[in-house]
Amino acid sequence: MPTFAGTLDSLEPIRAYVGAAAANAGLDSSKVYDLCMAVDEIATNIVTHGYEESGGSGSIDVEAAPESGSVVVRLFDSSPEYDPDERVVSDEELATELADRPIGGLGIFLVRKSVDEFRYARLDGRNVHTFRVKLP
Amino acid sequence: MPLTIDSSRSGDRAVIRLEGTIDASSAERVRQAVDAALADHPAWLELDVEQVVFMSSAGLRVVIFAKQKEPDVKIAFRKPQPPILETLKKTGFFSAVYVIGDEE
Repeated sequence: MPTFAGTLDSLEPIRAYVGAAAANAGLDSSKVYDLCMAVDEIATNIVTHGYEESGGSGSIDVEAAPESGSVVVRLFDSSPEYDPDERVVSDEELATELADRPIGGLGIFLVRKSVDEFRYARLDGRNVHTFRVKLP
Repeated sequence: MPLTIDSSRSGDRAVIRLEGTIDASSAERVRQAVDAALADHPAWLELDVEQVVFMSSAGLRVVIFAKQKEPDVKIAFRKPQPPILETLKKTGFFSAVYVIGDEE
C-alpha cells in the first residue's frame, strides 16, 4: 500500500495511482474520473482540514483494489477525528444564486454523488475513508 | 499535469485559458487570475477549459469567488470536457453559468 505525504502536492500522484488501479480493474473512464474526483476531495480535506488546520503533518496511505465485484479505495490518515457530514451543502443551497452559495460542503456533496458507497470510520487512532464503485 | 494559465482581454470579455488540472493545489493560481481579470469590471468572464482534464470543487469555489466579487459578471465555460460538464450539472452550476460549445 503506497504512502503519500499529507500535502496538496500529493493530490496528483494519488489520483494517478487510484485512476490506474480502477482502470486496470475494469472501470470505464467516466467512472474512473468520478472515483478520482471523490478521492481527491477527501484527500484535500485530510490535508487542509485534517493536517494543516490542526497544525500537524502526516501522511496518507492509499489502498486501491478490486474487491467482490467493486473497486474499493481506502485512505488512511492520522489527522484528528472529524465528522465528514458536519457541513454538506444541501439541494436547497445548490438552487440559490452562486454568490449566495456556501463555500464549504461542495466537496463532500460531490463525493457522495460520485461513488456508489462512501464511508468514514475512526479505527486504531486513524481516519479511514472507504470508497466503493461497482464493476460493470 | 501542471496547470498553465493564460489571461487576455477581448472587448468586454476577459478570457482565461486554462490547461491541465484544477485541484486544491492549483486553484489559488486560478483565483488570482480571476481576481486580476475582474479588476476592470468586464461584462463577461470566459474560462476556456477545453484543455482542462480534471477539475475538483476547488475550481467551483473559484467561480463562487468571482460571483461574490463581481455579482454582475456573466461567467462562461468554453468547451468543457464531458466529465467537467457533468460536475457543473451535478452541482447546479450549469444553470448559473454559460457553457459555450463548438458553435461560437
